[in-house]
Amino acid sequence: MVRIVTDSASDIPAEVARQLQISVVPMYVRFGSEVYRDGVELSPDDFYRKLAASPTIPTTSAPKVKDFNEVYDRLAQETDEIVSIHLSSTFSTAYETAVRAGGTGRRRCHIEVVDSRTGAMGLGLLVIAAARQAQLGQAGQQIARMVKESARKTRVYVCFETLEYLRRGGRIGRARTLLGATIKVHPIVGLDKGEVVPLGRERSRARALDRLCRLAGECGHVSSLAVEQGAAPEEAGRLHASLQSLFPGTDIYSSAIGCAVAAHTGPRVVGVCLYGG
Amino acid sequence: MQGKRGARGRAAAYTGQDLREMFAAATSWLEKSVPDINALNVFPVPDGDCGTNMLLTMRSTLDEAYRAPDNDAGAVAQAMARGALMGARGNSGVILSQIFRGLAQGLEGRESFRGKDFADALAQGSTVAYKALTRPVEGTILTVAREASAAAREASTRQSDLVPIMEATVAAARESVARTPTLLPTLKQAGVVDAGGQGLYVLLEGALHHLKGEDGLIRDQRPEVVPSSVPLVSRFPQMMAEKEEPYGYCTEFVLEGNRKLDAEKIKKSLSGEGQSLIVVGDEKILHIHIHTFDPGRILHQATSLGILHQIKIQNMDDQHQEYAEMVKAQAPPAEIATVVVVSGDGLGQVFRSLGASVIVPGGQTMNPSTREMLQAVESVPQQKVIILPNNKNVVPAARQVQELTSKKVKVVPSETMPQGVSALLAFNYDADLATNAAQMESALPAVKTIEVTRAVRPARIGKFKVEKGQAIAFVDGELAAVGGSPPGVLLDVLQKMDTEKSEIVTVYFGKITRRSEAEGVAAGIREKLPNLEVELVYGGQPHYSYIASVE
Repeated sequence: MVRIVTDSASDIPAEVARQLQISVVPMYVRFGSEVYRDGVELSPDDFYRKLAASPTIPTTSAPKVKDFNEVYDRLAQETDEIVSIHLSSTFSTAYETAVRAGGTGRRRCHIEVVDSRTGAMGLGLLVIAAARQAQLGQAGQQIARMVKESARKTRVYVCFETLEYLRRGGRIGRARTLLGATIKVHPIVGLDKGEVVPLGRERSRARALDRLCRLAGECGHVSSLAVEQGAAPEEAGRLHASLQSLFPGTDIYSSAIGCAVAAHTGPRVVGVCLYGG
Repeated sequence: MQGKRGARGRAAAYTGQDLREMFAAATSWLEKSVPDINALNVFPVPDGDCGTNMLLTMRSTLDEAYRAPDNDAGAVAQAMARGALMGARGNSGVILSQIFRGLAQGLEGRESFRGKDFADALAQGSTVAYKALTRPVEGTILTVAREASAAAREASTRQSDLVPIMEATVAAARESVARTPTLLPTLKQAGVVDAGGQGLYVLLEGALHHLKGEDGLIRDQRPEVVPSSVPLVSRFPQMMAEKEEPYGYCTEFVLEGNRKLDAEKIKKSLSGEGQSLIVVGDEKILHIHIHTFDPGRILHQATSLGILHQIKIQNMDDQHQEYAEMVKAQAPPAEIATVVVVSGDGLGQVFRSLGASVIVPGGQTMNPSTREMLQAVESVPQQKVIILPNNKNVVPAARQVQELTSKKVKVVPSETMPQGVSALLAFNYDADLATNAAQMESALPAVKTIEVTRAVRPARIGKFKVEKGQAIAFVDGELAAVGGSPPGVLLDVLQKMDTEKSEIVTVYFGKITRRSEAEGVAAGIREKLPNLEVELVYGGQPHYSYIASVE
């Protein structure tokens, strides 16, 4: 069976990863001189506690070649095909590093590395779909092709408390047009072809959640979706309920934003990711 | 001292102490305007914060003024000129110091002065300031100094008392400030008036308030930023890109000479070393300011002539970078421009920060003409424009613009400022004109507006009987409460409204409203309606002590 690898910026719930035999390579999160492996040495809850107490803002870095090699070498004992799907190369060097690791060593295993052009559960849903294909016995190349095609049909819509973390981390992209409001607003941004794009602003959280639902409702064919949250579980619950009535019979994953992504979103974020493949 | 303030006879004589007090009041008035003046700074940004620079220059001026032992006008003016020169910061601060130098020349040897003396001294200040610059630029503090002092001299041929002369001076300064964008293209592009000019106007106005005995007003109110005589067009990133030139270092210091200093000679020797060269002062002390790529050479040259004080070197590329970032962050390169009619400087800031392309000042009466709105529409590079009138009475005039321009114009009939905010937030960068206009219009009812003012005459409206001077509150244009105080009626209507599903109350307090009172109102709302988030914002609107939005 083809094995699926991703990085921790996919925000896949641990339980789902275990069931579908997805290997998650942790990103690194750094608070000053302390370095943690995302999800292994630092949980999202601990992350937000540290964030509140930390005088410096955390930074992130991609897994190292060594980290990918360890995972690839271990899997190569069990399979001769790996599809490794990663956070958009516009946000991180994880994809590049995975390509480098895939090309080194003398494995007999073939490794196909894919740049998802998305992130968070947008990436997560792609990885889950790939893992299901693998379970059905699909070949690596077909899976990789399917992922590349579906990546364009993946949507991510997120309501932020502040865009300050995105800005400071240098990932704000076109959404910088939403900066600078002198009254309190809740900015809503999306991911499009590996770029953060501005979608709008609302003055109340309730309206922001409505807007997320409206955006989700405007998507065409949706085969799976996920609600994501960082330090906003109640709102995520409300959003989950509204989306469920909008997409009856469709499974909606619930995911907590991992530390690597949270370092760029800050607290009190809630979003919806849709997969149309 | 010649009797009490504000109760002088005609053509009273003023002493050195009066001069101190005049400019002390002027400085307090300026201090309140510092954030506004700083915000006026445009690209290029040679001096960072103009308002702060002028304030610090004035503080040094006053320190010396109060240190001067005697009380005659000439001696105090001399001390002020010295203090200004030593404390001068930035371009505008340096020019200000030259105005004081001229003022001191004009008052030299006088024990006291009268209206005409002051007018002549002010004119001398303008002359000296012009001479200090190798290449004087119009549309700056210089122009304002020249035009204001010309008005002063003109008035002094008809009047002998200082108060009416200063009234004419301040009025001329204000008009001059408003015209600065027509003289200086960078101001026009940035859609602001000149910061230094605004600073000088505020100083003159502060002095006038003091002369009229209005020190209470200086304490309780704050200066208004003069609106530009051309519509305020937001800055566009593409304009930034075209003008990116190298900047180097802003280098500034005070040189205390070993021997007699020759300002002209030094100016000549430095003129090839950079741009924006200013060399001012006397043979003992010179203030030098230059934008150069090699500050080391300048300092080296200067140390051979004497001792350096207050050396300040700033990398202008850094400043420019920061500024460019800020502008890029603010101005969305949308295909559709938004023209917004706004009354109040604070509210103007709010709309600007939300991406409004052009602000048309609503003015005292909130009724800008069709022509003004047409000008604003024509001033933007975009071919598609949405107008937010933000007032019921402006909607018809705004609609007329559609027939007068070849551009595609839609009017979203917002009737209040909060509706305008709500509409602008619904603006979608990717959608076309018709979709945007429809979405923005459908966002109007999402917000409830409360407006609080005082009745200007007695009236009977519906079930309410209103006495002149009573506080009245409107909810979406309907009278909803009458009472003794604006905070009282605001709290009253908020409690009567159905706010169960609302989240946030935004309170914009007006020009005449004290911040402390507004803070009390915010605290009151938090106490009475604990489920609502309360945001307090300076709106600066005339007439209405409070405008609040509930959503």
